[in-house]
Amino acid sequence: MSAFAFALRSLVRQPARALLGIAGVAAVGALLFDMLLLSNGLVISMERMLSTTGYDLRAAIGTAPPGRGPLIEHAGAIATRLRTLPEVARVTPLRLSDGLVVHTARPFAVRVMGAEPGSVGAWTVLEGRDVRASGEVLVNQHVLELLDARVGGPLELRTSAPGVRTVTPPFRVQIVGVADFPFESERGSTVGLSLEDVDRVSGGGGAQSADQLLIATAQGTTPAAAKAAVERAVPTLTAMTNAQVLVRLQEGGLSYFRQISFVLTTVTIGFAFLLVTVLLTVSVNQRTGEIAALRALGFSRRRAIADVFAEAVLIVGSGAVLALPVGLALSRLLDWILKGIPGIPASLHFFVFQPRALLIHGLLFAFTAVAAALYPMRLVATLPIAATLRREVVS
Amino acid sequence: MSVIEARDLTRVFPMPAGPVTAVRGVSLAVDPGDFVALCGPSGCGKSTLLHLLGVVDTPSSGTLTVDGEDVATLGDVARSRIRLRKIGFVFQRFFLLPMLTAAENIELPMAEAGVSKSERAHRVHELLEYVELSKRADHRPSQLSGGEMQRIAIARALANRPRLLLADEPTGELDQTTGQHIAELLDRVNADGTALVIVTHDAVFARRARRILTMRDGVLVSEERVR
Ligand SMILES: Nc1ncnc2c1ncn2[C@@H]1O[C@H](COP(=O)(O)OP(=O)(O)OP(=O)(O)O)[C@@H](O)[C@H]1O
Ligand SMILES: [Mg+2]
Repeated sequence: MSAFAFALRSLVRQPARALLGIAGVAAVGALLFDMLLLSNGLVISMERMLSTTGYDLRAAIGTAPPGRGPLIEHAGAIATRLRTLPEVARVTPLRLSDGLVVHTARPFAVRVMGAEPGSVGAWTVLEGRDVRASGEVLVNQHVLELLDARVGGPLELRTSAPGVRTVTPPFRVQIVGVADFPFESERGSTVGLSLEDVDRVSGGGGAQSADQLLIATAQGTTPAAAKAAVERAVPTLTAMTNAQVLVRLQEGGLSYFRQISFVLTTVTIGFAFLLVTVLLTVSVNQRTGEIAALRALGFSRRRAIADVFAEAVLIVGSGAVLALPVGLALSRLLDWILKGIPGIPASLHFFVFQPRALLIHGLLFAFTAVAAALYPMRLVATLPIAATLRREVVS
Repeated sequence: MSVIEARDLTRVFPMPAGPVTAVRGVSLAVDPGDFVALCGPSGCGKSTLLHLLGVVDTPSSGTLTVDGEDVATLGDVARSRIRLRKIGFVFQRFFLLPMLTAAENIELPMAEAGVSKSERAHRVHELLEYVELSKRADHRPSQLSGGEMQRIAIARALANRPRLLLADEPTGELDQTTGQHIAELLDRVNADGTALVIVTHDAVFARRARRILTMRDGVLVSEERVR
């Protein structure tokens, strides 16, 4: 009978112990797996979101995040200049702002996005048509529902800037279509206007200003080459590749997720280790008589150790496998809870599955099985046969 | 050649209160087919000597040869191999594995020795018949009586056809009648050619042996030839 068949019988013989061990490892394993999904989840999710926009460079004045830095004046003219560069395929000036939709007595807040009429990739028109001129607006499905309006109907926008709001009259526009906006949160409200109209809604005089330029690299060039070309052509601009944006995120806020997940991973693995060590040690101590008898009957030390190791592998292995579906389900739940934070884009995920997480999960548990078995294996290895047999009879 | 030959075996246990000499200068040879009963008062060193003879314990001094091979210098693998193939052990408390059936318990030492599956099945069948428990093949130890457990344990000890069977108080946990059945079975094992060394407190059982060795304070004090 192989060590594994033997270990399986020992587990079946004490089902409560086996279930406790497997359930414990599964619970710990589910947490561990989630920590692994969390440690890189946001970065991977962010990377996917950035790449789906179809632009691989973002240019702004200074290095502040989009929307926080100074405005790029004459963004239309700058975009036209950049489009002539051979390294650049497309340029879309973008302006993000906040506004209020005047509806009933209670206006509601919207994210206001401005782009040049006809620009590709700022948003995706689902119904109706794109904004072609001043005075036209695209809304997302949620805004349409809130207003109970239809395409073709009117919309009144106000700035959300406190001082300006009271003196300027609301800005009237016509809904020309329904669109999907990038980085939209679950129940977020967004409207799309021309750059000039965003300036007006923001209390300006209708200037063509943007806070960032989305740039797509031409085929045959690298984002780095395009970045260099853009910065050479317009020295006031700083361009960042998607990769650079990600690095910045990783170095900034996202690194906390990594640290948290590293700490929790270590703690959970420690728990798994302790649980399995305790269970195996108790099991070995309960069976010293049997083990000594087997040794007396000719089972080698190596074989006795292999039996304990096989038991560790079975407990940890079953627990670790069971942990995957549990962890995956748990990560969905946690993701859903975290996405409840206002303003989190719907397509952003905190927990993202990657094959690498599976590999690390497997390696960590393989390590745990070995580490947890060490002490009980030592007990078996050093078990004095004669003294144990004698003690079993005397006691 | 003797199955085992002990020369001047001594076993000292270092204890905090001073060393305890459990076996002192014992010399003993067991020939093929021999039947030795080891008697003496409690604590005189019978179990300790039996463990030395069974290669589960190492003497502090003296030599032990099994089939002419000195076991002193052997490592764990070689010593385990000797126990597996040449020596059978029967314990007072049976020590059957509770999660295995009677048949599987008997099969265990054969599997460890690498005996083929068909040969194992054949031998298990043979041994179950030998100990008259064929009907209990698929029963777990918990479903067997003490006497039945000991018979399965004897079958297990015989699995790899050892030349020597060692038993430490094999009837110690059993009532008189059941003990007598076990004694008769061991008698038969000996008659069929296996040498026996048995530790027992039971004088009647001891008289089945060819030789009765009496120990006192770790020393062999007398040898009586019964048959
Ligand atoms: N592992 C050990 N450590 C310390 N002392 C031991 C050990 N094993 C045996 N002894 C001592 O050696 C002596 C002989 O013990 P042993 O068990 O061999 O006696 P025994 O004749 O089998 O007794 P019993 O008939 O009660 O089983 C005793 O004094 C015992 O305390
Ligand atoms: Mg004893």
